[in-house]
Amino acid sequence: MSGVRTRVAVFAALGLLALFALLTVSLTTGEMRIPAGTALRALVGLGDGGDVLVVQQFRAPRAVAAIAGGAGLGVAGCVLQRLFRNPLASPDVMGVTGGASLGAVALIAAGASQTLIPLGALAGGLLSALLLGVFAWGSGLSVTRLVLTGLAVQAGLAAAVNLMIVRFPAELAGSALQWTTGSVYGRTWTEVWGAGGALLVALAAALVLHRRLAVLDLGDDSAGALGLNTATARLQLLVLAVVLASLAASLAGPVTFVALAVPHVVRFLTGPPTAVSLALAGLTGAVLLLASDLVVQHLLPIEGLPVGAVTATLGAPWLLVLMFRQSSPVQRTHA
Amino acid sequence: MTAETPVNTPNQLATEALDLRYGDRLVVGGLDLTLPGGAVTAIVGPNACGKSTLLRGLSRLLAPSAGTVTLDGSDIHRMPAKALALRMGLLPQQPVTPEAITVEALVRLGRYPHQRLLSPWSAADQQAVDEALERTGTASLRDQAVDRLSGGQRQRAWIALALAQDTELLLLDEPTTFLDLRHQLDVLDLVAELHAEAGRTVVMVLHDLGQAARYADHMVVLKDGRLAAAGAPADVLDAELVKSVFDVDCRVVPDPETGTPLVVPRSSAARRSAATA
Repeated sequence: MSGVRTRVAVFAALGLLALFALLTVSLTTGEMRIPAGTALRALVGLGDGGDVLVVQQFRAPRAVAAIAGGAGLGVAGCVLQRLFRNPLASPDVMGVTGGASLGAVALIAAGASQTLIPLGALAGGLLSALLLGVFAWGSGLSVTRLVLTGLAVQAGLAAAVNLMIVRFPAELAGSALQWTTGSVYGRTWTEVWGAGGALLVALAAALVLHRRLAVLDLGDDSAGALGLNTATARLQLLVLAVVLASLAASLAGPVTFVALAVPHVVRFLTGPPTAVSLALAGLTGAVLLLASDLVVQHLLPIEGLPVGAVTATLGAPWLLVLMFRQSSPVQRTHA
Repeated sequence: MTAETPVNTPNQLATEALDLRYGDRLVVGGLDLTLPGGAVTAIVGPNACGKSTLLRGLSRLLAPSAGTVTLDGSDIHRMPAKALALRMGLLPQQPVTPEAITVEALVRLGRYPHQRLLSPWSAADQQAVDEALERTGTASLRDQAVDRLSGGQRQRAWIALALAQDTELLLLDEPTTFLDLRHQLDVLDLVAELHAEAGRTVVMVLHDLGQAARYADHMVVLKDGRLAAAGAPADVLDAELVKSVFDVDCRVVPDPETGTPLVVPRSSAARRSAATA
């Protein structure tokens, strides 16, 4: 037990350190290099007016959007994978990312202003989950039915998005593609405060509901005998995960891979899931998305690449690794 | 069918004209049953006779399509889920062990009905967990992963979860299945001890008639979802009943160790000659 505790503490400390370091890097680097000390002072409004503008209005909201979005995706992925007892469950499989893309693209098509597009993504994500709920409700929310319905919903939404993009004029298509790959470019404080604040509330709710999630892990019979209304609890957690993923999508677009990978990373490094590891999943997601965004901005020679391109590139081999590990003899057991 | 004399002891489960269905299929039909409080009851019967289904109905996991299940007179399907969970614990036949969970983490989940949404882990919670671990002999395994334990140890860890729930009534669905004889006896001795020392009411589904007769005060025999017999094992278990319920020719002799009825199937030669006769 103490071994696990030490590992969790080390993991949390390293995670926070990495987050702080990445945040500093993201505030200091860019078109204009600003020394770390100057950048941190500019963050609180001190120093040269130009520095303050760049750091406060351009770099900070982008970094915070990546942090909040990543945290939301990490926790959403954890909740979904436990709820579905499936290591491949993620907002992508649930139709949430497809819905968010469709919502954003629909608003782009309607010629809505930039600030409205995140709201479109949020609405799209929630709507797709509602669609999923309607289709999958019949059997009291059985896991298999949800997974299969989710895949169908996702496929349909992705098709709709592609159809719209193909019929767009060239400049709209570029903007739409940027959105549907996932990007934190050009986020403003209005968006970050709105979605970030809501994300904070949803993250707190996830920690509060963790006990129900742990009881659900015991299977429906044991959970029911412990006095948990399993259908209600599953619905609550499902809605929560969808809200988290949709809010994240409204900040960062439908970024793939983060929600899928983070639960595995956390479990690999800290052992069986607990409330603390749920919080760590948020931290890991934040680090991962912020790091990916820095890679996009500074390490790749291509200009204006969306962050989702990096996470998706990481995601493909990761899926293969998962598949190989799944087919190895180490499997979950039933007592 | 043996006549029953319902005595109103606390923790008495009863069913009245109970029908349990999976979809359209009637699994348990028209069951009138009284399971005495403060006793160990064994539910026996052939495969697919509705034993486990009955247990699910008794524990509120399956809503009756007709009839009622009452605990001390109140309908359990009208009780709040948590209120019932404070009075009745259940060990399912094949519980799902969460991946890599430790024994202590598993047993802690037994405290769920005692906790509110925001209440922190209390000293009383920890005490109940420690006691459950002690009683089941799993205290030394508390930091080990449940899915790496042997079958017997794992079963005891799950019983510890039900004990941490701290209920007067304990329902066990085939707690000895998949265990070897030594571990079967360990589990049954533990059940007998819980009954004798802590006064818990136990209802368990068992396969082995001899073990049921040894460990139970009260026996319920089901056939095709209907009540075939109920009462004290010595009154209920005879060759005629075994023949009619299990379709096995046997002799029922006193168990040389305990004097309770012991079912000894006839030799296959004797059964063949009986069949041709």
